[in-house]
This record gives sequence, structure tokens and C-alpha cells, in this order.
Amino acid sequence: MSIVTVQLGQCGNQIGYEVFDTICRDLHNTQGFCCKRENEVYQASCKEHFFNEEKSGVPIARALLIDMEPKVISQTLLKAAHSGRWKYGQHSHFCQKQGSGNNWAYGYSVHGPKHEESIMNLIQKEVEKYDSLRGFSTIMSMAGGTGSGLGAFLTQNLRDAYPNSFIINQIIWPYGTGEVIVQNYNSVLTLSHLYRSSDALLVHENDVVHKICAKLMNIKQISFRDVNQVIAHQLGSVFQPTYSPEDSCQYRRNPLGDLMASLVPHPEFKMLGLRNIPQMSENSLAYTTFAWTGLLKHLRQMLISNAKMEEGIDWQIRPPLSGLPALEKVLPNKEFHFNTSIANLVILRGKDVHSADLGGFKDPALYTSWLQPSDAFSEWRTHRAFNKYEKLAALVSNSQFLLKPLDTIIGKAWNMFASKAYVHQYTKFGIEEEDFLDSFTVLEQVVASYCNL
Amino acid sequence: MGLPGLRPRERSGPGALPRAISALSRALRGRPRPETFRKAKFDLPEAVAELWSLLFSLLWPVHQEGAVAPGDPPEALEGQIRFVKWVLHCYGYGRRHFYQLPEVGSHGSYELLLAFSWLLVYLSLPERFLYLNCVYQGDDAWICSCKDLASYPVPLALSCKGRVDIRYVQWLLGKLRFQWRSLYASQQEQCTLLNKIHLYTRGCHPDPSIGHLSVPEIELLRFPESSKQMLQQLESENSCLEAFLEWKHMELVYWQWMDTVLDANPIGIPNADKQDVFLPEILQYCSPKYLTGEMDRVQKNLEALRQRLQETVNQQRAAWHTKVSRCSQRLPRLPELSTAMMKEIQKTVECELAALEQGCGVKSWSHRLQRLVFREAGEPSHSGTHQMTKVIQVLRREEASLEKTFRRLQEECQQELAILARGLEGVIWILPP
Repeated sequence: MSIVTVQLGQCGNQIGYEVFDTICRDLHNTQGFCCKRENEVYQASCKEHFFNEEKSGVPIARALLIDMEPKVISQTLLKAAHSGRWKYGQHSHFCQKQGSGNNWAYGYSVHGPKHEESIMNLIQKEVEKYDSLRGFSTIMSMAGGTGSGLGAFLTQNLRDAYPNSFIINQIIWPYGTGEVIVQNYNSVLTLSHLYRSSDALLVHENDVVHKICAKLMNIKQISFRDVNQVIAHQLGSVFQPTYSPEDSCQYRRNPLGDLMASLVPHPEFKMLGLRNIPQMSENSLAYTTFAWTGLLKHLRQMLISNAKMEEGIDWQIRPPLSGLPALEKVLPNKEFHFNTSIANLVILRGKDVHSADLGGFKDPALYTSWLQPSDAFSEWRTHRAFNKYEKLAALVSNSQFLLKPLDTIIGKAWNMFASKAYVHQYTKFGIEEEDFLDSFTVLEQVVASYCNL
Repeated sequence: MGLPGLRPRERSGPGALPRAISALSRALRGRPRPETFRKAKFDLPEAVAELWSLLFSLLWPVHQEGAVAPGDPPEALEGQIRFVKWVLHCYGYGRRHFYQLPEVGSHGSYELLLAFSWLLVYLSLPERFLYLNCVYQGDDAWICSCKDLASYPVPLALSCKGRVDIRYVQWLLGKLRFQWRSLYASQQEQCTLLNKIHLYTRGCHPDPSIGHLSVPEIELLRFPESSKQMLQQLESENSCLEAFLEWKHMELVYWQWMDTVLDANPIGIPNADKQDVFLPEILQYCSPKYLTGEMDRVQKNLEALRQRLQETVNQQRAAWHTKVSRCSQRLPRLPELSTAMMKEIQKTVECELAALEQGCGVKSWSHRLQRLVFREAGEPSHSGTHQMTKVIQVLRREEASLEKTFRRLQEECQQELAILARGLEGVIWILPP
């Protein structure tokens, strides 16, 4: 039951490292707030998903590191080896000497086809090691050249080569004021291409995570590492083992497949957002206690008011009266106040988890008119605490969370495109204006679909 | 052929009937008691409860067989009675009086005895039961080449206008696709692990025609304490089989007695007033709540249809007879076939049949479990076995033909939609990808 993580580009590799490190630290965490036997089952299940066992006893991450520059990869490999808890496989990386210069077209049309065979061989060799393959999880930035361009190319290839596997793309959404001038072009091209080949896009917004670091974690000088660790923590809280629905003594065998089946069956709605509660620095964690009722009340309001974190939630926003006809919800000039969901998944970890009541998430008013809460809402639970949090709730939501950021990026990209700025940098490598227009059309359709919930 | 150790006289003597019933009872794992049957013959109320629960306990496992998510059995007698009536209705049991029996189980043991005996033959209950409780020791694969895909009704949640949002249908389709992928992956994993077990245990099996251990056998080796349980299961299956054999030899006695039951007719209802109406067996897969309302309508329609068909058949038959008799008068008599010629013809037919079978790749297999046995390429296999590669070939062909049907249906739907869309002004119709 394995998931292969594909780390792409500088960003993907750095976050990938943090994800495995977080998972591994959680594995060895003695503060699991559960009995020894349960802890063992949890550990075994986690290892089955993310690691290969080696004779030396050091688990090897089921990951492939791909970049067009050698620097980050060699750093990442070293850091993992030095951790002593886990490491990457010996032949699990691919790198070249020259990057993509933040040009999506270079990653997609030059690097992609040139190294297709070597990279696909590398992946095939990795896959052949397992008794079963559940799917791929790629980590990549959306704004750069290698992660985004090569990542989009590779995702297409994965879809063709493994038509029965699940593919989720972890996408790092750039800062609104990013330093890459063509980041909006790159983003539009990445998203539109992934929308055709991936099953789900799990989005991590740099701006949001940055704010979490500043306000909730009280970090003064925020580094990329801090941001990456928060993302890794959020991912870990979703993909670490949870009980299977049939038997609460067994852990879920196919979390990726279960997540997809509950959140993204509809091919037009693939954008997932992630929220966590509580989120705080390790120092304050030791002095704070939480009740499930309070946590879930906050999480629910974060969902319906589209709040990025537990601080500064707008408590005025209420779901529309459920008796209203669907038309009322779709007024074209409606401002993005209430956040309508297609589907939500809540994951609860920690003490007294079975007493937590999720009734608030099963309100039909939260969801689009064509889905019932029984179809649209799922919950995963486990007694085992995650990462020293005595109680932790995570929400993966397929909703209008990303409508506004998406609309903004398309708007900015379109303005640049209208004045033909930098387009020649792309046509030089085979991405024509026609391709841009196609990409805009795809994303406009996505925006329209999410608007009409 | 007589039963060993049982003289013919014992099969028809005065104690024969209780013995037959007790054999049947043991074959069905000790359910019916001979005394109950005797009471039912005279429609005594004491036998009613036992017969209802007997029918329920027999029909429930049969009905749950192959169900993806087995349901919980109804606990109250009333629920059980309703279930039994519904199942019998689905199988087409035609005695009206049976369905009119009260759901409190106060009387009607005679009717229940008739229903039980009908099921005995119609469903081959003892055989079904033996099959259900069979202890499997091999790695089995379910091979089935039945083409009649039962149509499962999907209860779509209707909106207030009674329409289904297309996005909901797309959602369900997507969900189905994902679940299919999950299933595919777990099947693949199972195959890989099975292959490992077969490879690692080569030469361990006492039977050289199999040569390796199966998963249940490995389980026995890993947990020796479970062998006791297995032994018990085997013993119980064995005694069931013995009882079944005995029942088969004495079955006639039971049916002779049933004749006397029919003649006795304590409730005074004619036993053969009309022919039964058989409903398609597909109905047994449906849930009662979607059907009870429609059942009567369907039955009436079927009855009318049957009558019309009967009339047509009679007309056609009469027309055919006159045609044949006219033709035969005109034709010269056929020459007598010599035995040599007959043999020759027979041989040619046999050859052609064999060629046909080879053309198909495998002998047509029925709808059943087959034991999986691992063989290296080039190793000889025994007659009567199917090679998996050939089975896969046949299944691929079937898949292709189903795919073709699916495409055709899809095209038809698209055409139909396009026609509908043309009727709407100002709407552009773009074919889905």
C-alpha cells in the first residue's frame, strides 16, 4: 500500500524533506497519548505507506528527488542521512547541471522530453520494489520553472504510464508579491495542465503559511524552512494513519484513494485547501489544553468564513438558510462571503477523539445544492496524537477556498498577456499563444464552476 | 443402486419417512424436525413458528450469497415473515393463499410445508446449502463468463422538482471510477502476494499435481491452533454430505408422502387452480422497498402478456402444422441412412465440436470457483484445467465486446441529447470529451 512521493525542483525537494522528517519524528514520538500496542500498529501502518525497510534498520523514504540543479538535491540527501532517523534511497535522485531559469516552457518543453526516459525509468524501478502501488504524490511549486514546468510534464507521463494509480499534486502557491516576474504565467500554465492529468491539487498558499508563522507560531524572522515545516506539519496531519471505517482497530490501507473518493470524484472540481487547528509553537503547546467542542467550532467557522487561520475569524458569517432555492446561492454579483463547499474531510487525532461531535459539518446549508452531507462529508479519526499535539483537527476542503486567489492570478496573467509581455520567452521554447489561450479557457471554466456552487 | 447397509425394505417401511426427513434435516444442519412436518400436514398451528423461522434461516444466507455488504437480518418474526414472502414472490412462487397468511404467524403450517417443498426443488436447497458451507482449502478465483449483467437500480436523490442534477451523476461516476481503481490495486497486491507464497512453498504440497501450498494452508501452519476449528468444520461438512447422500436415496419417500399431503388438503383450497407466474430472477437482487408497489402491476402485465403469447403460440403452431403437413405430402421420402453413414456423420459433428471448443480457447466454464495453481511455463498441466492466459484471453475478448456495446450506447445517448438540445433555442451543444 505504498505512495511514491516525487519531489520536484528546489521547493518540492525542500518541502519533501520536511514532510518525511516530520513523519519520522512523529513515529518516534513517545507522547502519543495511546497504549504501546496501538502505537506499534500506527507505526507499522505509517512505515508501510511511506518507507522501505532496510537491513540496517534505518527506514528509507519512498521518494524520488528530481531537480535540474544539483545543489538542493545534494543538500537534501545529506540532511536526511545526518538525521539518523531515516534516509533517501541510494539511487533515488535525478539531477542535471542547468536549471530552467523560472521559465515554465523550458521545464515543460526542453527538460521534460529530454529527460523523460531516464526519469520514467527511475520511477518504474522504484515502483517495482513494492507489492502494490496506491499512487503518486508530487510536491512542486507553481511559479518557478523546473517544479512547475517539468512537474506538469511528468504528471502527464505518470497518468499515461499508470492509468490506475491515484495522482495528487501538492502545489505551493506563490506569494502575491513574489519576485519571479512571470510567476502568474507559470501558475496559469501549471494549473491548467495539471487539471487535465492529475486527480487532485492540494494547494498550500505561501502567504497564508507565512501569516501562520508570524501570528500563531510567533516566529520573528521567518525563513523558508519555517514555512516548509508548517506545510509538512499540515500534510502529516492529513496523511498519517487513521482508523479504517470498517474496523476501528485497523488503520486505513489506502488513505490516498479514500481521500480522493470522498473529495474529488467530480472532474471539474479538483482544488483542495487545507486548514489546521490548533497550530502553535512547541513551547506554548506544553502549557495549553483544548476541548474538542471549541476546536471544532473554530474549524467550522474557518470553513464557512474562509478564514486562513484561527486568528481573526469573522464570526458574523452564517450559512444561508437551508430552505432557500439553489438559485439564491448563485447570484452573479454575490460577494465571496460565505464559503460554499462541495465536499469536506475532517481528520481528528488525539485524546478522547471518539467523543468529538462533527454534527456542525453535516449541515446541508454548508454544501452545494446537488450534494447531500452524507455524500459530501467524511471523517477520519485516530486516538494516536500527532506531533505532540494532544488534540488536533485538520480539514481538507473542496470548496470556494481558492476561488479568489485563482481569480487574482488569472487576472494578473491575463493583463500581462494582453500586452504580450514576456510571451516571446515562452514561444521560444514551443509554448505558443494558442497554448496560453487554452490554459486561460480551462481555468476560466474552473472559476465559473466553483462560482456556480 | 442401493444405499450401502440399507436394504430396500428399509427404504419403504413405516420408519422410512422420519428417517428421510431426519436425513434432510441433517443435510440442512439440523433444522427441520420430522414431528413438525407431520403437524403441518394437518395444518396445526403449533408448527407455524418453526416453519417460518426454518424458511427464513434457509433463504437468508442464500439471498446474502455474493452480496457486497451483507445486511443485518430482521430480528422480529414479522420482519422475517415479510422477507420470506418477498423472496418467494421474487422466485415466482404462485400460491396466492401463501401470501395471504398473517404476519403474526398464527396459522398456515400446511401452506408453509408446501412452500418449503417447492423451494426444495426449485432452489435445490440442500445442494445450495452444501455449496455455501463448503470449506475451501485452495486459493480460489471466481471465474464467470455470464453475460447477463444484472441491472442494479441506483436510487438517485431527487431534488424538489424531481430532477437529478447532472453534476451529481458526474460525481457518482467519478466515485465509481476511483473505487474501481482501489479495487484494482488491491487485487493486484493480492496476486503479487499469492505468487510469492506459491513460489516460496514449491515442493511442499503432498499432492504433486498441485505442488505448492495455498493461503489457507499457510494460515494453518502459522496458527496451528486454528486446525482444530478447521477439523470441526470439515467434520460437520462431512456429516452434511453423508446426510445428503442418505436423503438423495430416500427422497422418493418424502415426495410420495407429499402426494398424500396434497390429497389431504385440510384447508380445502384447490391445489392447482392456475399456472404460476415466474418473474425474472433479477428481481432477487433488488431491495423490497423499491418493488412491493410495482410487484402487482408487473404481475398483472405479465399475466396478460402470457395469455397473449399463449394465443399467438397456439395460432402459430396450428399454422405451422398445416404448413408441414402440406410440405411433407409434396416431398419424396428420405432414403434410410446406413449405420456406416450415421457413424461418419457423427464423427464429423464431433470433430467440428472439438474444433469449435479449441477456437474458443477454453471449454466453456461455468459460473464457479476454480482453484489457482501455479505452474512454470512449459510444465505439463492436467486435463480439465484451464490455463489462466487462455482465460484472460477470453475475458479480454468479452471486455472488448462489452466496451463496444458501451460505446454504442454512449453514442446513442449523445445523439439523443443532441436532438434534445436542438429543441432549445440559443443553446450550443458541445459533445463531452
